[in-house]
Amino acid sequence: MSGAESMRPGRAVGRSACAAGLLLAAVVLILLALPVEAQQAASKESTYRAFPLLGSRLAVWAVAQLHLNFAAFILGVPIFAVIIEIIGWRTGEQRYDWLSHELVKLTFAAFSTTALLGALLLFLFVGYYPKFWAYMTSIFFPTYWVYALLFFAETFTVYLWYYGWNWLSGPRKGIHVGLGVLSNLFGTAILVVANSWVTFMISPAGIDESGALKGGVWAAINNFTWMPINIHRLIANIVFGGTIAGAYAAFRFLAAKTDEERARYDWMGYIGNFVALSAFIVLPFAGYYLGREIYAYNQTMGITMMGGFMSWLWIIQAILIGILFLGSNYYLWLGMERIPGAERYRKYVPPMLVILTIGFLVWATPRSMVVTLDEARAMGGTHHPLLGFFGVMSAKNTVVNLMILTTFLSYILYRRANKIPTTPWVKTGMAIQWAAFGAAAVVVVFYGIYGYFVESIVRIGFSVYQVLAVIGAIVVVMALDVPMFKGARSTGEIRWGTIAPRSQYVLILLAVTFTWLMGLMGFARSGIRQHWHVYGVLRDTSAEAVTPALGYAANVITLVTLTFFALVMFIFWLGGLGEKGSPEGAHGHAAPVMAGGSDRDA
Amino acid sequence: MRVPVSVKVGVFSLVVMGGYSWFANSIPQIESKPPQELSLEGGNVTPAQLVKAGEEIYKTKGTCEICHKIGQKGTRAPDLAGVGARAAKAKPGTSAKAYLLESLINPGAFIVEGYPPIMPAVDKPPIALNRSEVWALTAFLESLGGTVDVTLNDIPATVGAAAAGGGAAAAEVKLPGDPKLGKTVFTTKGGCLACHKAGDIPGTPVGPDLSQIAKIQTPDYIMKKILDPKGMGTVSGFPPGVMPATFGQTLTAKEYTDLVSFLLTLK
Repeated sequence: MSGAESMRPGRAVGRSACAAGLLLAAVVLILLALPVEAQQAASKESTYRAFPLLGSRLAVWAVAQLHLNFAAFILGVPIFAVIIEIIGWRTGEQRYDWLSHELVKLTFAAFSTTALLGALLLFLFVGYYPKFWAYMTSIFFPTYWVYALLFFAETFTVYLWYYGWNWLSGPRKGIHVGLGVLSNLFGTAILVVANSWVTFMISPAGIDESGALKGGVWAAINNFTWMPINIHRLIANIVFGGTIAGAYAAFRFLAAKTDEERARYDWMGYIGNFVALSAFIVLPFAGYYLGREIYAYNQTMGITMMGGFMSWLWIIQAILIGILFLGSNYYLWLGMERIPGAERYRKYVPPMLVILTIGFLVWATPRSMVVTLDEARAMGGTHHPLLGFFGVMSAKNTVVNLMILTTFLSYILYRRANKIPTTPWVKTGMAIQWAAFGAAAVVVVFYGIYGYFVESIVRIGFSVYQVLAVIGAIVVVMALDVPMFKGARSTGEIRWGTIAPRSQYVLILLAVTFTWLMGLMGFARSGIRQHWHVYGVLRDTSAEAVTPALGYAANVITLVTLTFFALVMFIFWLGGLGEKGSPEGAHGHAAPVMAGGSDRDA
Repeated sequence: MRVPVSVKVGVFSLVVMGGYSWFANSIPQIESKPPQELSLEGGNVTPAQLVKAGEEIYKTKGTCEICHKIGQKGTRAPDLAGVGARAAKAKPGTSAKAYLLESLINPGAFIVEGYPPIMPAVDKPPIALNRSEVWALTAFLESLGGTVDVTLNDIPATVGAAAAGGGAAAAEVKLPGDPKLGKTVFTTKGGCLACHKAGDIPGTPVGPDLSQIAKIQTPDYIMKKILDPKGMGTVSGFPPGVMPATFGQTLTAKEYTDLVSFLLTLK
């Protein structure tokens, strides 16, 4: 490398750091100045303004969802990036350090776009919904300062984490890992502050009947849905980050020119899917918690959400989640084809596919159907005499728990595909593992059937037993699996890069589906407020107060998702420009050679 | 010709998202429109027109159909078929229209046995029916097996105050009481803990748990219930006539306002 070339990355780093610093300062200034602007605007009694052509609601909807997508990505990816970095640090395996750096690079490239979209969203609120913004400011103004400070802290820490990768290596690696952990803590804190605003709109608290803050802002922050959404979003962000990282790897795999490159991105895609799947398994439980809190806050809202005009939304959600389960499992089964010794587990695939398919179909069965009068008469009501039984919560809870168990079984088989355990207690261990799977399945099915014969209030409690049975089985099986396969005999190395190309389209399918699902859930979260900006407190009196039907919402979600992926591809392309011509990648990070691969655990 | 990977991936993603959009457009399309305000005050309305307007409110703005059915027992709320006739006998000494009105604006006062106390006051946000709408809805309920005799004068003038101005406009109840002192009244002189649990105060479950009383009841109800427990009705599932009717005499005005202030903190 010539001297001029070696100078280039340094200059680029300086330029981008300066640009990012200026951008950040501008965003923070806007954040602090706009509340005053908002109050002035509100005092002129302009409740709404119309956004040209699109309308204000659509403009806010699209920008908010785009901002959320980017924010979820830049908050979710660093969580597992730092874990992967720690694994690399403790095991000394360079490929983990490379992967962690690669993931942070993706995050880093999306960082400025997230901030810009956040600023744009703020402009839209202040300009087009001034009364709403003034009201929110009257409640949450102290939190704006906290948010701004956290934003500073997060930005500087992430910059230091990314640019200090080489500087803080070797004996100083612990400090570097510490920066990664710190940036995650700041990122999570930003998330929970922003969540307090959005959850207050759903379940306002700490205010009197006139809508004014009664005491401190904490009561408004700590509203019914705040903590459930914190947990749900944190987990969902990890899933989202995993799927996007997986899709990126898939794209690079498909475009790869060499076997080495293909092997590298095959492995990265596997890790992305593994991360997404691990977090995805617990996501339904967080969803139940959120749903329960919505009911606890306001029964009417809960019933509107599940049984009112939104009831069909959950059918679409079920289809998307079914595709995610099937896709993740299919990817694992395809991945087993590149592992010598995995053939012995092929026989398990058909029954697992049957369970997943039946689960998918049951979950997607609606409770009641929109039919003509004649059809209803012929059927004896809007509930189908047979299929109607599969439309209730008992059936849905049962199948989702069985789907989770099946997915976990897929992962266990993948994990041991090229290993033959040599520990003396293998038979006992295996028997206990299968017994744990069986016992969990029996508990899940038993309470699923029993749920049909009890009152709804008792039935809701059964889902806790079902969840505990599944989690218990996962814990028991993993606790035995790790020591049982320690020092296991290998049947051959994983042939990274030889996986069927269609598997990469599965990874892209997972990313697209999960992003679309996030858009749908965003619509659900906002839609349950119906014609209220802040539920029961501040009414939406604009001409656009109608909560649209699912078809319109789906079209918007598709356009937003398309825009998101277009922007992501552009940003990743931009991020990769700086490395073109550099054999080592950014910051001297040598890409690991994977062809021929490794049989070690990922 | 070799198709670039970006084109293949782009087309694939488009097909996937297009499929989702197509499905979402092929299922029932239901919009949730903001409710229209109905004003009948000052106008001449026949009972038939009133019942028709009430039925519309029942199906739309009132959101009653989410839980109530007519001619079908619900799991969350009672069947309303024949409620106009039943209402006259539900509470001795209370007319059908008075009972129906109480059920709408103070639903916690009398809970039908076997159902959870989940009904919101219809004149408060988020449902926020105005006075005319409560009038029409009462008329509609009376028409289900009974006689429509409710007049606008039967509807208290305060009904729907929270609906005016689109929420966030209800008069705030400001009491001069001290919740901390009220808690002491609750546990000492008032002796309320003998029958009621309240948040972290353990009580014998002779009467209802008051841990969330401010969330499920109005300040007006709480204040009246202390002074006139019998007149405000007995919560379903609890024995009637247990709560003393002497607090108006035994508590000082300061102790009373302190106690109410404390109860209003229980959410």
